[in-house]
Amino acid sequence: MDMIEQPSITDRRKWLKPSILAGLVVIIALMPVIQGSPYILHIFILTFIYIIAAVSLRTITISGQFPLAHGAFMGIGAYVAGMASKWLGWPPWFTIPSAAIVTAGIGMLISYPFSRLRALYYAMGSLFFGIGVIYMVYAGGIWTGGYSGLTGIGSMFGSSKVAYYYFFLGLTMVCLLALHRFEFSRIGINLKAIAQSHLVASSVGINEGWYRILAVSVGCFFAGLAGAGYAHYNTVLSPATFNFMGTLWLVMYVLLGGIESFAGPIIGTSILVLLPEFARDLKVYSPFLSAVLLLIVVFLMPKGLVSLPYLIRAWYTERKKGKKITHVSGN
Amino acid sequence: MELAVATVTNLLILSSMYILVALGFAFLFNMLGIPNFAHGAVYMLGGYIGLALISAVGINQWAGLIITAVIVGAFGVFLEKFCFRPFIGDFNRIVMICVAVIVILQTGVNIIVGTEIVSLPSFATGVLRVGLVSVSYERIVTFAVGAFLLGAVVWFVNRTKWGQQMQAISQDIEGASLQGINVRRVSALASFIGCALAAIAGCMVGAYLSLGPFMGDFMLVKVLILAILSGVGSISGIFIAGLVLGSLDSILPLFVSGAASDAVAVAIVIVLLLIRPQGFFGHEVEM
Repeated sequence: MDMIEQPSITDRRKWLKPSILAGLVVIIALMPVIQGSPYILHIFILTFIYIIAAVSLRTITISGQFPLAHGAFMGIGAYVAGMASKWLGWPPWFTIPSAAIVTAGIGMLISYPFSRLRALYYAMGSLFFGIGVIYMVYAGGIWTGGYSGLTGIGSMFGSSKVAYYYFFLGLTMVCLLALHRFEFSRIGINLKAIAQSHLVASSVGINEGWYRILAVSVGCFFAGLAGAGYAHYNTVLSPATFNFMGTLWLVMYVLLGGIESFAGPIIGTSILVLLPEFARDLKVYSPFLSAVLLLIVVFLMPKGLVSLPYLIRAWYTERKKGKKITHVSGN
Repeated sequence: MELAVATVTNLLILSSMYILVALGFAFLFNMLGIPNFAHGAVYMLGGYIGLALISAVGINQWAGLIITAVIVGAFGVFLEKFCFRPFIGDFNRIVMICVAVIVILQTGVNIIVGTEIVSLPSFATGVLRVGLVSVSYERIVTFAVGAFLLGAVVWFVNRTKWGQQMQAISQDIEGASLQGINVRRVSALASFIGCALAAIAGCMVGAYLSLGPFMGDFMLVKVLILAILSGVGSISGIFIAGLVLGSLDSILPLFVSGAASDAVAVAIVIVLLLIRPQGFFGHEVEM
C-alpha cells in the first residue's frame, strides 16, 4: 500500500472509485442478458471461481508466508466435495461448506509443523505438500478416480449456465467482502505487522504462530470453497487441474495484478483467464499471449497491473515538465 | 537377482540424472539466490534440441549431444543475464519470469513437435552378460555419461580457479567481489554449465526413456527436492540427497504400488525438511 504514492483524495475523486466499481458490478450482473451464450458464461464462471482462490492466496501472503500449495488446497476442497457428493450422496449446499471447513482444517494441521519453516523453505515445504496431495489423489484408486479423474459428481442447477452464473457471482461477492473485512480488520493489521518483522510483532504481544496459522486457515477455507464450487459446477475432476502448474498459475494471477493491493488478484485473474479465451483465434499460440503479458508486467510494472494508472499519471506529468522518464526503474 | 540388478541400475541412473539437472539449479541458487523454476523446461528443451539435431538433421549422436549442450548453455547465459540478474532478491518477479519461460518453451515444443511421445535413438544397443546377470549397454552408457560428468563437475568446482571462485561467491557474494572476483562472468559461466548439464541429462533421458513437453515439470519437482534437502551452499549435499531420492524412487515401487510410492517419497522428504529446515549440508540464508 505504502509503496505507491496515492494522491490525496479530493471531493471530485471521492466518488470516482465507488461509481466505477458499481458500474462494473451492474455490467457483470447484466452479462447473461447482454451476451447469453453459454460459452461466454462458462468462461466468466471459471473466472469467478479463480478470483476466490487467488484473493484467498493473497490473504495468506499478507502474513508474510508464501505457500506454493494453493492449487492443492483447491483440489482438496474439490475432491472432498466431489467424493462426499458421489459416495455419500450429500447435496451441494451441504458438501460445499463442509469441504471448505475440511480444507481449512487441513491447512491448520499442516501449518502447525510448517511454522518452523521460513520464507523460501516454507514455500518449498508447502510445494512438496501440494505435490504429495496430488500423488495421494492419483493413488486413491476408485475412491478418487485416480488418473482418469472423478466423475459423477452431483450438479447444482443442471445444465442452466445462467443459474450457475448468478450463484458464483453472489458467492464471489460474499467471499470478497469477507476477505476484505478480514484484511482491514485488527487481525489483518496484526498479520501485516508479522510480515514486516516477526520479531518486532511478537515483542509487542502479537502471537505470531497463532496468527500465521489463522491466516493459512482462512485462506484455505476460501480455496476449499472455490474448489468445491468448481467440483459441483464441472461435475468432473481431473487431478492435473490442481497440480504444481495449477498452483503456479494461481500465483501468477496474484502477481500479475499486484500482490500489494486487494484489487490486484481480481484484475490479474480476470485478465489471465479471460484473455486466452477471447484470443481463441490464435489457437495454439494463445499461451504465448499470457507469457508476453507476464514479461511486460515484470519488466515495466514492478508493482503489477494495478500500478498502471499511477505509472501513466507519473509519465504524463513528467512529460508535461519535459523531463526524462526515470520512474520505471523498479525498486 | 534380476530384480536386484535392475533396481540397482535404476537407482544409479535415476540418481545420476537427478543430480545432473539439480547441479545447474543449485549453482544459481547458491551463488545468486535465484530459484530457477524454469530449469525443468531447460532440461526438456535440451532433449528436444538433441532430437532435432540427431534425428532431424542427422549428425553423429555424440557430436549432437555436445552441440546441444553448447546451444542450451548459451540459452542459460541469456536467461541469467537478461531475465534473472536484473531481479536478484525479488522472488516474485523471478517466479513470474520462470513461468513465462516455461510457458514459452512448452508451447513452442507443443507447436513444433506436438504432444506425442517421441524418443531419441539409443546411444548404445545390445546387452552385457556377466554370469547370470544381464544389463543393457544403454543403461551402462547412460550411467557412465552421468558419472563422468558428475566427476568432471566435482573436479571443476574443487580444483579449478573458476570453480573456487564459484564457491567463494556462494559463501559471500560481496566478499567475493571485493576480492576481485568477477561475479557477473562467473555466474554466467555457472549458468552455462548448469544448463548444459541439464541439456545432456535431457538427451540421455530422452534416449533411455522418452521425451514429452511436460517432462520438465516432473524433473523440476525432483530438482527442488534435491536442492532444498541438501541446503544452500553445498555441492556434496546434492550428491547425497540425489542418491537418497534416487533410492526412494527406485526401491519404494517394489513395496508400494503406483503413485502411492511417490506420495510416500514426498512424505519422507517433508519429514526430513521439518527435521532440519535449513537443509542437511548447507547454511541458512535470508531470502
